[in-house]
Amino acid sequence: MSTFNFGRAIRGGISTAALTSFLMSSPVLAAPPVDLSKWSPEYVRSIAGTKEFDTAADCSKVTPLDYKGRLTFWYQGVFEGDPDLLRQYYKDFFVAFRKTYPNIDLQDQALTYNDLLDKFRTALLGNAGPMMVRLQILGGVEFASKGYLQELKPEDVGYATEDFWPGAMKSNMWKGKTYGIPTNNETMAFIWNADIFKRAGLDPERPPATWDDVVKYSKQIHDKLGIAGYGLVARKNAGNTPYRFLPQLWGYGGGVFDETAQSPTYAKVQINSPASKHALQASYDMYVRDKSVPVSALTNQQADNQPLFLAGQLGMMISHPSDYDVMLDLKKKASGTDVQKAQTVIDNMRYGLIPTGPDGKRAVVFGGSNMHILKPEYVDGGKVDLPAAKALACFWTSPEWSLKMAYAGSNPGNLNGFKTKWMKERLDNIKFLDVTTSMLPYGVPFPTIPETPEIMNIVVPDMLQNALTGALTVDQAADDAAKKIKNIMDGGKL
Amino acid sequence: MTMATGLADAPLEVKARRFGFLRQAWTHRSDYLYVLPAIVVMLIVIAYPIYYTVELSFFNTPPSLQLRDKEFVGIDNYALILRSDVFWRVTANTFIWTLFSTVFAFILGLGSALALNHEFFGRGILRAILIIPWVISAVAASYIWKWIYHSDFGLVGAVLVGLGLAERPPNLIDSVGTVLPSLIVVNVWREFPFAMIMLTAGLQTVPDQLLRAAKVDGANAWQRFWHVTFPHLQGVSTVTILLLAVSNFNSFIIPWIMTGGGPSNASHIWITHIYELAFGRQRWGIASAYSVLLFLILMTLGYFYVRALSGGEKKERVA
Repeated sequence: MSTFNFGRAIRGGISTAALTSFLMSSPVLAAPPVDLSKWSPEYVRSIAGTKEFDTAADCSKVTPLDYKGRLTFWYQGVFEGDPDLLRQYYKDFFVAFRKTYPNIDLQDQALTYNDLLDKFRTALLGNAGPMMVRLQILGGVEFASKGYLQELKPEDVGYATEDFWPGAMKSNMWKGKTYGIPTNNETMAFIWNADIFKRAGLDPERPPATWDDVVKYSKQIHDKLGIAGYGLVARKNAGNTPYRFLPQLWGYGGGVFDETAQSPTYAKVQINSPASKHALQASYDMYVRDKSVPVSALTNQQADNQPLFLAGQLGMMISHPSDYDVMLDLKKKASGTDVQKAQTVIDNMRYGLIPTGPDGKRAVVFGGSNMHILKPEYVDGGKVDLPAAKALACFWTSPEWSLKMAYAGSNPGNLNGFKTKWMKERLDNIKFLDVTTSMLPYGVPFPTIPETPEIMNIVVPDMLQNALTGALTVDQAADDAAKKIKNIMDGGKL
Repeated sequence: MTMATGLADAPLEVKARRFGFLRQAWTHRSDYLYVLPAIVVMLIVIAYPIYYTVELSFFNTPPSLQLRDKEFVGIDNYALILRSDVFWRVTANTFIWTLFSTVFAFILGLGSALALNHEFFGRGILRAILIIPWVISAVAASYIWKWIYHSDFGLVGAVLVGLGLAERPPNLIDSVGTVLPSLIVVNVWREFPFAMIMLTAGLQTVPDQLLRAAKVDGANAWQRFWHVTFPHLQGVSTVTILLLAVSNFNSFIIPWIMTGGGPSNASHIWITHIYELAFGRQRWGIASAYSVLLFLILMTLGYFYVRALSGGEKKERVA
């Protein structure tokens, strides 16, 4: 079903060896359980199912299984855009944890991606946070820099730092100290509808190679079929927007700062560089000039693109492999002739690597989530049950559960997860998984600075909206964003 | 003589008034004890937050610092707000939003109240139906209207395209030019039943004999409305308009859920902007300064509201 060129993926992976080598040479990385330099779909298949893990036994070394305690825990849970399969794994996880640690009174609360940061920040202002939190990858540094979090590294819960992706560990670092453990790592892929490609006169098995091609294909689809070509997303205050625009920005050679560099300093704002403006211009061309993307892009999120795609009204989008399962779930809700239409779309779903920029640069956001433990003074009740928190961290970031909790779409935070039997099962059951594992070496972490959430969730979408609505020209919108980012970095002005 | 007496009497009057007040307070001491719990609660949940918001408005709170590490900046936040283009844009949006929402909700409510004031078959059912927008959850209503307006597969677009009135669905909430009017329509739809209920109650107070007398005197329907009915609705209209205005100044749910203040800040009104500044950007200081300004405006409206109420009471007493 998946038809993207794996050989090319491997070559691409090798071409990004510089990035990988850098990650490998990082002082935190001594001997990872998997060989990152060999990373390819074939390599992932070769290591899957090669090692057995006993989560309860491993975690009992961190916190005895009969430990009696209480833990409050907030986490970014499943939301409307996630497949039912993931919902089930989340349920299974909490059942398994409570069975393994029957004497820990776990009070867990799931929040959506967009609500978690707001609620967590507000709770911390009143010293009423939970003892433990699982935050989106861009959030950790903000709270670490403010002193809300305790130091926490994989060794504290029985694992090694090398068991985790270096890029993911970097997102937990602030001023040389570690404040969290990765649970999962996401690198999205490019999805297209082969049937729409065929009807639009495009090669149904060949995704656009470059972002310029995306613009061209999107126009061709729209002009020939009268439907949206590419699923652009530009809503403010929604994680979906930076996850979809930054690969484009980086592909064209731009950036917010120098986050794609081997040793980023985040010293110089580059969002108004010629390359960055080129990326913004591509979005402008699709939305304004060609009108080839959903008009609702400014108020929509990716979850709104999913039904459009399933209805055969959208040709291409960036998303997780879990979207395949989402489509299957959505199909179950269809009725009458819509069922057949949905099935046609599902049969024609294709996944490939994210397109490159004009210079062959391919990049994707290195996303995911991390677990953190709070300092007692910011917790409701003023106490943190550390053994209980470590037990949960050990359980979630174990090879078994970090894999299962990322089963449908992303990748296990613990690299040993790739060696489990569940990974093997996953490779057999989840379509298009190869694509997302192939994208991992291209992953670029968000800038690890406290200002990142504001820049990514507010300034970047604002820039897109200013350009796409014509409120400002592309140049003005990029310059305006650069000015705002400079102000933010210069001490918190607007 | 008179003048001298007046001057000499003035301090005595003040003194007498002061003692009179104290005597009255002492006489009603048990009454004050009854309201004391409410006053204490109000001090905790209203007075302290107001004080803290005013205090916070003089501090800078960058995203890298905890709130307790805030930096004193004097009136910089106010200066920053007043110099900001976004402030004036948001302020204009807020006034447009408040003015048009209030006026149209009132007019529609008045029309409905007048129509429903006559007896006709199915009046009760119609009244119940018209109240629905006001009683359903604003969150649910916002999501429904978002779907109705959706620029790609919305109901409005489907109907217009289906009837051949448009080639493409209209861009209602993804355009800077149409987003605010589109949201005002939703707000008016939600609020007019409130005006209708208030004015229906007001219409019950219009004396029937006056209307009949006017009719006998040859006044047409408009004249009867303008010269008899409307003057009787003046008090309730003022209160309704003020309540609508305050409620609209404080609106949050509809613009936040439907557009998040976008696109390009075109539907940001004060409350949504303050929320974004505080919770999305953690500019607690600037958000507080905004809140203080909004508070002053609302207090001014509140003053007129109380005056309108007490004025009504005075008129009733005179009558």
